[in-house]
Amino acid sequence: MITSSARVEKACLQFKASFLPITVLQITCYDWEGIEQQLLDTVHNAPPFFINLPVIIDLDKIKTLGTLNFIKLKEILLTNKMTLIGIRGGSDEQHLAAAMVGLPILIAGKSSAPEAVQQPKQKEDSAVRLTKLVTTPIRSGMQVYAKESDLIVTAAVSQGAELLADGNIHIYGPLRGRVLAGVQGNLQSRIFCRALDAELVSIAGYYLTKEDMLQSPTGDGMRQIYLENEQIRIEIL
Amino acid sequence: MAKIIVITSGKGGVGKTTTSASFAVGLASRGYKTAVIDFDIGLRNLDLIMGCERRVVYDFVNVIRNEANLNQALIRDKHIRDLFILPASQTRDKDALTLEGVSTVLEELSKTFDYIVCDSPAGIERGAQLAMYFADSAIVVTNPEVSSVRDSDRMLGMLSSKTKRAEEGRDPLTEHLLLTRYSPKRVARGDMLSLSDVNEILAIPLLGVIPESQAVLRASNSGDPVILDKESDAGQAYLDAVARFLGENVPHRFIEEKGNWLKRLLRFKEKEIS
Ligand SMILES: Nc1ncnc2c1ncn2[C@@H]1O[C@H](COP(=O)(O)OP(=O)(O)O)[C@@H](O)[C@H]1O
Ligand SMILES: [Mg+2]
Repeated sequence: MITSSARVEKACLQFKASFLPITVLQITCYDWEGIEQQLLDTVHNAPPFFINLPVIIDLDKIKTLGTLNFIKLKEILLTNKMTLIGIRGGSDEQHLAAAMVGLPILIAGKSSAPEAVQQPKQKEDSAVRLTKLVTTPIRSGMQVYAKESDLIVTAAVSQGAELLADGNIHIYGPLRGRVLAGVQGNLQSRIFCRALDAELVSIAGYYLTKEDMLQSPTGDGMRQIYLENEQIRIEIL
Repeated sequence: MAKIIVITSGKGGVGKTTTSASFAVGLASRGYKTAVIDFDIGLRNLDLIMGCERRVVYDFVNVIRNEANLNQALIRDKHIRDLFILPASQTRDKDALTLEGVSTVLEELSKTFDYIVCDSPAGIERGAQLAMYFADSAIVVTNPEVSSVRDSDRMLGMLSSKTKRAEEGRDPLTEHLLLTRYSPKRVARGDMLSLSDVNEILAIPLLGVIPESQAVLRASNSGDPVILDKESDAGQAYLDAVARFLGENVPHRFIEEKGNWLKRLLRFKEKEIS
């Protein structure tokens, strides 16, 4: 953005809202060997996506375990090309230990996405929800977020562009960017699109990368992408 | 009121300055009073391509800083009476261009000129944003390769949001795609994206295809923009593009591999002989 020069010269900072898809690693058992082995396997199978991936550790499943060795955890992640940027969930004791090594507690105590939706808060189902409609191309570097609504895009979504919605996302133009539906954790949200050439699709935090989608069904017709048993399914309608 | 055209791309070295020079010459030789401005502060290429580097005394930044007036800085082209060049400055100060300064210069030029061609620097930073900010039309210069197409795509995103027209909610500027350094031979070999690949991704109207051509290098060395070399393929392609920009209906050329039928005939003959 260009503002008048006088102001530009003074401003050193610009605050920008952003919604980055962040990978959450939920630790289910506190076993260093198991954790290391599983990380190694995962990183090996999906190399490009995991390079320098920022991650959050979810401690909800091990909050009764007392304090953890966060320094070691950080190191293990780093050797697997992931950067630990914070924790969520867990006990007060764990929070203290995290704070001691400079790890922010991101969404303290909030349970992970799947459980959040199981407690029904379906007030919008009865009301008519507004839908965000975009009719012009969404180019590389652009981001569109439909807050508390669905998103319909009738134009092309370029590689490097990003669509986010709290609800469903419908795309009628060519899709080459990233699409994240249900970003607040709505497991019911779906993505509908024509030919699927996306860099990433995500529903309520579960995602598939381009490589993951290589075996997805081919052929004509609209695709429907939805979540079933914590797995993303792609089917032709 | 002049029409302001920005020649932009995101990526460097794709042919923006070559295009700015040829477009300015093309418009001016049609009788439109045209100014071409070099926004690439610090590099100063346009005056070399236009062959007027020895006549640069004052530049764009001098005018903005009130060290010279516009008429002192504008250089009349050596071939065409109605064409003027406003050269960039050699200063290292990238912030020498200010929004007010650019606005004032463009406003003053608008009073007497028909077209103002803005040669954008590479990148998506301040200089490129200032070059596009006041534009009525954008010519997005793209090479048939993935990184250039991606940068052009990003540029188109900025053109739709970061121009004065967009900020004031007026009609959006008109977008034109100019595919340059196109080599049908390399497309056929699969080393380059084809015209249809690029069109599919960028999806904006095609102004023209400029072939990769020796004539461009010759033109820069002699300081006569390639559009003046009417015998050359690139020169003709630029003439066509200017005509299309002015609304004329000119069929596209230089997209197919040259002498293809001849090659096929020769191969056929070889087979016959063996
Ligand atoms: N159609 C073309 N065929 C061959 N070389 C070209 C062509 N267009 C540009 N070039 C060359 O590419 C280089 C970069 O061109 P230039 O116009 O300065 O690009 P930019 O202003 O985008 O950085 C120059 O050396 C120029 O001679
Ligand atoms: Mg240049």
